[in-house]
Amino acid sequence: MATAMAATAAERAVLEEEFRWLLHDEVHAVLRQLQDILKEASLRFTLPGSGTEGPTKQENFILGSCGTDQVKGVLTLQGDALSQADVNLKMPRNNQLLHFAFREDKQWKLQQIQDARNHVSQAMYLLTNRDNSYQFKTGAEVLKLMDAVMLQLTRARNRLTTPATLTLPEIAASGLTRMFAPALPSDLLVNVYINLNKLCLTVYQLHALQPNSTKNFRPAGGAVLHSPGAMFEWGSQRLEVSHVHKVECVIPWLNDALVYFTVSLQLCQQLKDKISVFSSYWSYRPF
Amino acid sequence: MRPSLQAVALWGKRAPPHSITAIMITDDQQMIVTGSQEGQLCLWNLSPELKISAKELLFGHSASVTCLARARDFSKQPYVVSAAENGEMCVWNVTNGQCVEKATLPYRHAAICYYHCSFRMTGEGWLLCCGEYQDVLIIDAKTLAVVHTFTSSQSPDWVNCMCIVHSMRIQEDSLLVVSVAGELKVWDLSSSINSIQEKQDVYEKESKFLESLNCQTIRFCTYTERLLLVVFSKCWKVYDYCDFSLLLTEVSRNGQFFDGGEVIGAHRILIWTEDGHSYIYQLLNRWAQMGAAYKTFSGLSKSIYPADGRVLKETIYPHLLCSTSVQENKSHPFVMGYMNERKEPFYKVLFSGEVSGRITLWHIPDVPVSKFDGSPREIPITATWTLQDNFDKHHTMSQSIIDHFSGFIDGSVVTSSEYVPSLGKLICGCEDGTIIITQALNAAKAGLLEGGSLLKDSSPHKVLKGHHQSVTSLLYPHSLSSKLDQSWMVSGDRDSCVIWWNIFTEEILHKFFLEAGPVTSLLMSPEKFRLRGDQIICCVCSDHSVGLLHLEGKRCLLRARKHLFPVRMIKWHPVENFLIVGCADDSVYIWEIETGTLERHETGERARIILNCCDDSLLLKPESVLPVASETHKHKSIEQRSSSSYQLGPIPCPGLQVDLSRPFNVFATKWSHVGFHILLFDLENLVELLLPTPLSDGDSSSSFYGSEILRRAKSTVEKKTMTLKKNKTLSAEATSKPASESLAQGDSANKFSEENDGIKRQKKMKSSKKMHPEPSRRVDANLTIDTAKLFLSCLLPWGVDKELDHLCIKHLNILKLQGPVSLGLASNEDHFSLMLPGWDLCNTETKRDDSRVNLFSGKVLELSNKYIATLSNQLAIPRGLENKCNSLQDRLFLVNKLVTLMSFKSFLSNSSFKMESVHNKVKSPGSDILNMSSFYGYLRNGKNGSHVPEADLSLLKLISCWRDQSVQVTEAIQAVLLAEVQQHMKTLRKTPINSQPVSLAENGNCEMMQNVPKMEWAEELELQCIRSTLPPQTPVSPVNHDSNSNSANFQDAEDMPDRCVLEESESPGEPRHHLWLAKVCPCKVC
Repeated sequence: MATAMAATAAERAVLEEEFRWLLHDEVHAVLRQLQDILKEASLRFTLPGSGTEGPTKQENFILGSCGTDQVKGVLTLQGDALSQADVNLKMPRNNQLLHFAFREDKQWKLQQIQDARNHVSQAMYLLTNRDNSYQFKTGAEVLKLMDAVMLQLTRARNRLTTPATLTLPEIAASGLTRMFAPALPSDLLVNVYINLNKLCLTVYQLHALQPNSTKNFRPAGGAVLHSPGAMFEWGSQRLEVSHVHKVECVIPWLNDALVYFTVSLQLCQQLKDKISVFSSYWSYRPF
Repeated sequence: MRPSLQAVALWGKRAPPHSITAIMITDDQQMIVTGSQEGQLCLWNLSPELKISAKELLFGHSASVTCLARARDFSKQPYVVSAAENGEMCVWNVTNGQCVEKATLPYRHAAICYYHCSFRMTGEGWLLCCGEYQDVLIIDAKTLAVVHTFTSSQSPDWVNCMCIVHSMRIQEDSLLVVSVAGELKVWDLSSSINSIQEKQDVYEKESKFLESLNCQTIRFCTYTERLLLVVFSKCWKVYDYCDFSLLLTEVSRNGQFFDGGEVIGAHRILIWTEDGHSYIYQLLNRWAQMGAAYKTFSGLSKSIYPADGRVLKETIYPHLLCSTSVQENKSHPFVMGYMNERKEPFYKVLFSGEVSGRITLWHIPDVPVSKFDGSPREIPITATWTLQDNFDKHHTMSQSIIDHFSGFIDGSVVTSSEYVPSLGKLICGCEDGTIIITQALNAAKAGLLEGGSLLKDSSPHKVLKGHHQSVTSLLYPHSLSSKLDQSWMVSGDRDSCVIWWNIFTEEILHKFFLEAGPVTSLLMSPEKFRLRGDQIICCVCSDHSVGLLHLEGKRCLLRARKHLFPVRMIKWHPVENFLIVGCADDSVYIWEIETGTLERHETGERARIILNCCDDSLLLKPESVLPVASETHKHKSIEQRSSSSYQLGPIPCPGLQVDLSRPFNVFATKWSHVGFHILLFDLENLVELLLPTPLSDGDSSSSFYGSEILRRAKSTVEKKTMTLKKNKTLSAEATSKPASESLAQGDSANKFSEENDGIKRQKKMKSSKKMHPEPSRRVDANLTIDTAKLFLSCLLPWGVDKELDHLCIKHLNILKLQGPVSLGLASNEDHFSLMLPGWDLCNTETKRDDSRVNLFSGKVLELSNKYIATLSNQLAIPRGLENKCNSLQDRLFLVNKLVTLMSFKSFLSNSSFKMESVHNKVKSPGSDILNMSSFYGYLRNGKNGSHVPEADLSLLKLISCWRDQSVQVTEAIQAVLLAEVQQHMKTLRKTPINSQPVSLAENGNCEMMQNVPKMEWAEELELQCIRSTLPPQTPVSPVNHDSNSNSANFQDAEDMPDRCVLEESESPGEPRHHLWLAKVCPCKVC
């Protein structure tokens, strides 16, 4: 043990020097890299107020599924809002074609994108005043900063990867159903959400359950995608989902953003690990 | 935590980390409340001289606290609401540290404003919340349920900050918010109360884009009712409230980031920055200044001066008057606030809290002025304080549980500890690598009590030396699986060395070297998972690797080193021999244990499914060292907001998942590098264990009753005890019925369901965690007595009456405290508070008196006097000796229960009729005693209320009246204890005069008879007989060896003249009485 102590005495100076370098140089290098990545990510979300103002550009996405072509949708995304939507639905029974679109004056905010964007900008805000001129004094400080940034980034990512699980009455009550110009027929429900890098549109066809029906009524719980046969009560009526159509389309910039989140999270964790290595040498002092 | 649990904290030398994330001063300027990243709230006492001292720590949140706000009209109810990162919200009563209401909503709040409009609103008002969700949420301040939202029609977004504008001029309250995108929105508040209550959509009245991002604060100038101050991170602006026209923009210089601001007077504002600086500006009107000179030669002034705001716009500019700063800045983000009170003796106070846990106060002068030469004046710091300061100042109170071993371990700090309930032993791993194994109760006694030095030498402990670095984790396998050897213990250190010990022989069985950084946790494979018949140990190291150790084989089975993120979850798949590792980034690694190969790596949805589907296999989740560290993980579920299936299970507080079947428990907590211990006394259990053995009082020195006999006696009476006990409490409880019958009924029923819930949860936890096989109910009688004694020592107010102290030490055979104890108080199963060292200085009403130790508040004396008065008025018979300990405990228990009911009052709305039916259903054997008793009491009361003893009736009236006077549980307990002890001692002093021990016993029996209801059974009488046949035992301190001769014991008392007894019945509480007493009384005792 004595020899071990003697060795550490000499090593200690080196370690401290190394740690100083880590705090003064390496941390800033990583932070700069992190900032660059996050800036790229936030550009994907076209943050308002940053850079050139003006109407954010519109992107059209044609949603379809590889199987049937019963539902086709053209959704126009403007930043975090759906500005236009055209949905064509071929009724399975009579092949009648239904068409409905958004009202001109209305937009539908995609809450998931807005939240993800806000989380990214919060993460960026945490990093803004930590440039080269800022001197980190303790490793704990860096760890805390990294924790805060990682928290925001994890949330941003989770917002995109975990769509809300809604119950059917919640979907029916949502403002989205009121967005369409010829109002949606009462036997249709529509839901739009983000799942990972995809914009998804689900159309539920409903039919009323007869009050004297022998079917065992059991309201369905919350789900991202309800399956045919799910039942719910809306108003005084009991309804059942008869058909479910799901169409989706990859949003390329969301894919980029997700990759950036993953990379920056790893970067943060690596920096944390580097700092923690020294915790074994500094005893209790928050290294 | 059960309500009957009493906790005493043994803090170490080092204060627990408290990284302040939110800070506020209460409206009465007597308390600072801070919220921390660790999830605790801290209450700091603020003296009239602006001195800060930490008072208590509130536990309840499992994630970082995001904001604090008052939750009621503070003059009526001192309630504060706190919100955490994971959506938890709590309403706390900050005077007694109790959690009043709690809820978990899928929202993260950034700011909360309390709003109440007395003439339009029923109920307790609203909490207007904003945060990481669209627009503004309205939450009921009382129930914490979402009432409705304020929605925006234009570009809904997250809201950064808000303020409520109450304008006298327009007679309308408005809500002003600024969104993250920089949009200012205004909602009518008072006029939309009705529509909100009817759940109609309320849209914003106005909105305006402010052209800056990262808004920090918005404030309305109540002095001029004209100006609006908006602070952004890089600039601050002043707007005209009438038309939201921009009057002034001040951009930050030299890279400072603004954090907030406040209007402190007409045209005077205070702005503070993220790094702890603040600046006071005078907003000057250029024209008004030169107006006088201007007017003389120009007739223009009249035309220029119309108040249409346009002129203001051109003329306003800031002039820096004063500034404040902190020395060690730049390193931490600060949270600051300003308290503006114009009433004397209140101060204008600027306050800040740092991540390091430091609080700083500045007293802002009423009229801040610059220096004569016009340069800004620096306002000095008025006070600054940290938790550590409290610990340093009151080091006698911050005793750690093993401090008394410091003779040979200098300044060593406990870095990890484990309590082994089956052995009653505490294993502490220290910073220097030693491991100390000690009898927990003895260690606690030595740490807390005076004269512990005797104990220090006698308390047996073992020191294991093997680690060279600080011990970071401990595991006692036997407590997880009873099949494993009792002598085994595994410890891991910072150098990733894991040692397998035999703690009985103190030898090292094997050393494993993992070379993977500090061992963060040691886990045990579940019982059903076996590798060739043996369970295996799993080590999680700080380089995110997982090692599997086979103890008997003395080898390392698997080194899983691929994980990029910290390990959050370990699961075992017994069938296929898989180890499933869940990481912080929600990815999952599946390792094959036999071959050590990585079988699969999954992320995202699939990872979630894998983790969920092996729920049936046993889950062992490493407790994170810092609650925040695991926070990211917990958030997974919160993301699914607005879903009805959303559920974030209550995350139990650290320290509450303890084996509850023993009267004494130690819980060791660990935050980063600081460990402290909480002693838990289960009163209910203690009373139960004590009841059948009143004789055991003298057990420690008794010559004719061995513990064997005791034990046998106990086991035979065990069953009867239960009923006896119930009836004792019930008879008492019943008496409180006339006073507040329906109330208590309702309360108890509600409480019962809650408790039942708690128990269920506990059980579930136990089974899922496989904590222990059902531990035996047999607890060593000595241990029980010792526990009771220690507990009494902890609760008694020492030094109030020297003579009393003396008698207590002598006759109750307890030791005096070294210093005040840090008591803990539970509000419900996962919210509790712990006093901090130095809390006793926070009682402003009592003058500091060095001789007094552990007096909870000045109120206690008052209360106990009342109690004594009631006692002596109503009860002429002196209290029995022989049931001393029990009746005390019993009474305490009762008081505890009664006052706890207070917190459940809010639930009371149902008729007592309904309650009755609930009660009738409740007949499970293990049910709450109070509940049962109130049920019986109810029955009894209906039939024959006349059996209720008069004295107890009035006592209970008194106690239930305390409940209404918001007397704190601890205060009540101490008061009753003090009174009871005084009564006992009085009888002790009287005894030699009577010199009739037999009559005493009879008296005792009388009392017992009174307490035991008429419908009592022969068993009771039997018990009575057993007791009355025994001569009353007086516990004797080891020094006095003659245990049988009463006269020797009472020698001291005999010396005393009768006068002392008289004085006793006078108010002994007043300090001046004592001064007077000391002068007058010839004896040296008092």
